[in-house]
Amino acid sequence: MRARPVAASLAVLGYIIMIVPILFVVVTAFSAGRTLRFPPQGFSLTWFEAAVTYDPFMESLVSSLYLAAGATVLALLLGVPATIAIHRGKIPGKGLIEGLFLSPLIVPELVVGLALYQQLMIGLGLDNLSTLLLGHTALLLPYAVRVTGASLALADPAVEEAARGLGAGPVRAFLTVTLPLLRPGLFSAALLGFVTSFNNVPLSLLLQDREFRTLPVTMLDYVQQSYNPRIAAMATLILAATVVVAVIAERTVGFARIFGGINQ
Amino acid sequence: MSPAAEFIGVTQRFGDFTAVDAIDLEIPEGKLTTLLGPSGCGKTTSLRMLAGYSRPTSGTIRIHGVDSTTLPPEKRGLGMVFQSYALFPHLTVAENVGYGLKLRKLPRAAVQQKVEETLELVGLAHLHKSKPKKLSGGQQQRVALARAIAIRPRLLLLDEPLSNLDARLRVQMRTELRRIQAETGLTVVLVTHDQDEALEMSDLMVLMRGGKIMQTGTPREVFSRPANRFVADFLGYENFLTDQTHTFSTVRPEHLILGAASDGSAALRLDATVVSTAYRGVDLLVTLDAVDGAGETVRLLADVRAGDGAGLTPGTRTTVSAAAAHLVPIAA
Amino acid sequence: MSRKTALLLLPGFAFLAAGFLVPAVAMLIAPPGEEPTAVLSRFGEMITDPYELRIIGRTVTLGLIVTALCVGLGFPIAYLLARSQGRWGGILLALAIFPLLLSNVVRTFGWLVLLGANGAIGKLLTATGLTDDPPQMLYTPLAVVLGLTQLFLPLAIISCYSAVAQVDPGLDDAARGLGAGRTRAFWSVVVPLSGPGIVVAATLVFAGSVTAYTTPYLLGGSSQRMLATQLFSYASVSVDWAAASATALIMTILVFGVSGLSALAGRRGATA
Repeated sequence: MRARPVAASLAVLGYIIMIVPILFVVVTAFSAGRTLRFPPQGFSLTWFEAAVTYDPFMESLVSSLYLAAGATVLALLLGVPATIAIHRGKIPGKGLIEGLFLSPLIVPELVVGLALYQQLMIGLGLDNLSTLLLGHTALLLPYAVRVTGASLALADPAVEEAARGLGAGPVRAFLTVTLPLLRPGLFSAALLGFVTSFNNVPLSLLLQDREFRTLPVTMLDYVQQSYNPRIAAMATLILAATVVVAVIAERTVGFARIFGGINQ
Repeated sequence: MSPAAEFIGVTQRFGDFTAVDAIDLEIPEGKLTTLLGPSGCGKTTSLRMLAGYSRPTSGTIRIHGVDSTTLPPEKRGLGMVFQSYALFPHLTVAENVGYGLKLRKLPRAAVQQKVEETLELVGLAHLHKSKPKKLSGGQQQRVALARAIAIRPRLLLLDEPLSNLDARLRVQMRTELRRIQAETGLTVVLVTHDQDEALEMSDLMVLMRGGKIMQTGTPREVFSRPANRFVADFLGYENFLTDQTHTFSTVRPEHLILGAASDGSAALRLDATVVSTAYRGVDLLVTLDAVDGAGETVRLLADVRAGDGAGLTPGTRTTVSAAAAHLVPIAA
Repeated sequence: MSRKTALLLLPGFAFLAAGFLVPAVAMLIAPPGEEPTAVLSRFGEMITDPYELRIIGRTVTLGLIVTALCVGLGFPIAYLLARSQGRWGGILLALAIFPLLLSNVVRTFGWLVLLGANGAIGKLLTATGLTDDPPQMLYTPLAVVLGLTQLFLPLAIISCYSAVAQVDPGLDDAARGLGAGRTRAFWSVVVPLSGPGIVVAATLVFAGSVTAYTTPYLLGGSSQRMLATQLFSYASVSVDWAAASATALIMTILVFGVSGLSALAGRRGATA
């Protein structure tokens, strides 16, 4: 890097912008003071306790986890068969159908959120949990289709044929050969889907309800009202959990492979 | 003996493209039949229809006398070795070979014994715990073969099984496959584009082109008496001539004799001019122009011993001849 | 299409239609209690209204600045990552990708601590004696630009990385063997060959920036209204459905427009 001073300086600046703000969140979370200020006053774990005993955070955390899990499972259950149809079936307009399943990626999430709020919740009177589940599932379908599709495209179709030739029916061949081959793709899709749903703000923003709120939106509202390190502590806890998820991802299928799937 | 399998007027169309065009073929029991031809001739499509992976547009496929045209592959009980080998990457060698046996609800011990026997047969007993990815191409090929024959298939189908191996291994595997076929007594159908492979291995050779069967016969029959120009071309006949009686014939380059033949037995005798020569160590390839019996100028290729052609340079006038036995009349 | 294939596609398609396609179309033609033409006429008013135009202008301008910054910083990072080997390369790559998994709220929140009235940068400026009264940094365009750059830089790095990684390092050497300096080789070989990756990066960053909500909300506040915060305000504060839908339409047009341009650029690049 010594030989490329310009590129190296730009890179350092880039990493500072990406990483430093996150470090400041962590530092602030261990403050003993009452407000968000720098440098933090003293060291304590008070605000972590304040975060995990704060009902709105914990309730919305549980809601967000349920929503993310539900939407991920639904998106895989719906997306995997569609992927198989797209890659293995003889269908006209294959590209068009795949494009349709990927389309939630290109419409701004806030716009989709508005559409669901306006049309389903206000227009049809659907409850917010169902609307959120429907919206998040549609949002995750592209991940399910694209990431598992990348796995499926890599798998030799003759492998399924070989299983059939050895006496396995179509369902059996799918369960004993295709599904195990898709496992890394399914895992990547599930992980990406879960994280995407859990972290989502724009789609969920308008679909909140007193009974069922998501954590990121609850945190946004909290900043508006109170300016203290409780929010930094909650953010640090999310950061820690994300690090765990990242390590699991790296150890199992590898980062590069996971993000290779979405970024085509 | 009734044939192991029959194609009766079988056609396969993909859109406007006719991959296989109304073929009739009998696959003899206990023999090794090769489907030979250039890519796109319909040989692989025919094999896939026989295996049940694609359904003919029209016609009937019988296996051991039973109409199996619409039977799914899993009900046919055939063994297939794919060009890509198609080994299950998530299973070990033993699990790959045992896959079909397990589906047949054999007791575990019987499966294990069968797997060991089969791996023994292909010489891979020591690798049963490995994953396919760790094996060399030749070893993967043997696993694919073992997996296909472990189920005691009624027919063993091989789709270009040797094309992904290096040249030395390929020649070695030809003998190996022949040995396994002889030991098991299996009926084998082998698809290949390699004429040497077909000549060396087949009991019956089926030459295909453009979805049609050009010629069927033993390697000796086909090689020495090609039915038409395409077959002759494909098998390395280079010289095509028409005589005064308008008979079209062909001669292999190594059967063309340069200079005056010593006796009068030659069935062909033409004046020719050397166009170019290519020295190849043992032999010499000589390209010549000559006028055939029909008065047409033809380009000829002679493959002579390097010593015999020492004095030939472009422009040298000479005579070419061939013995009657080597002049093969063919359909134009 | 065989019946089996249709059965595999149908459930997914039903969800896609109910959870996305139908509401999105309905939003444009039938907001609750509005005439079918309300959205379009509102859209027409908006793109001639000075106040709305300022918001659109700010959104696009900030989007372009963020795009330039993300590509300008992301490409060198991708280049260095693609050319570096060993442990450090792997760690730096992981560090660049990791933020993609992390909540935007958490990532953006750091800037509040840095840029706020009692924040670290203000303290630093006072402590070093540069100024006694640090300038307002939060709720300025600068804050929004920094926040959005942080948010979208990883995306830019990944897009550029996959392109740069495919450029044979031998080409650098070849160019240098022909007499090009290191810088010249970079600009005349690496950059053009990574062109498609750069276009993808720019498109993703721009589309993300002009539709992001969390960052303009937290760091821009009401003084730096952007399309996303404006849309939220129409939908949940003033409950003006036609205006909300029209704003959504503007955002969508922006995103589709830039995606279309990039696809066009990609096609020209492919035929050139």
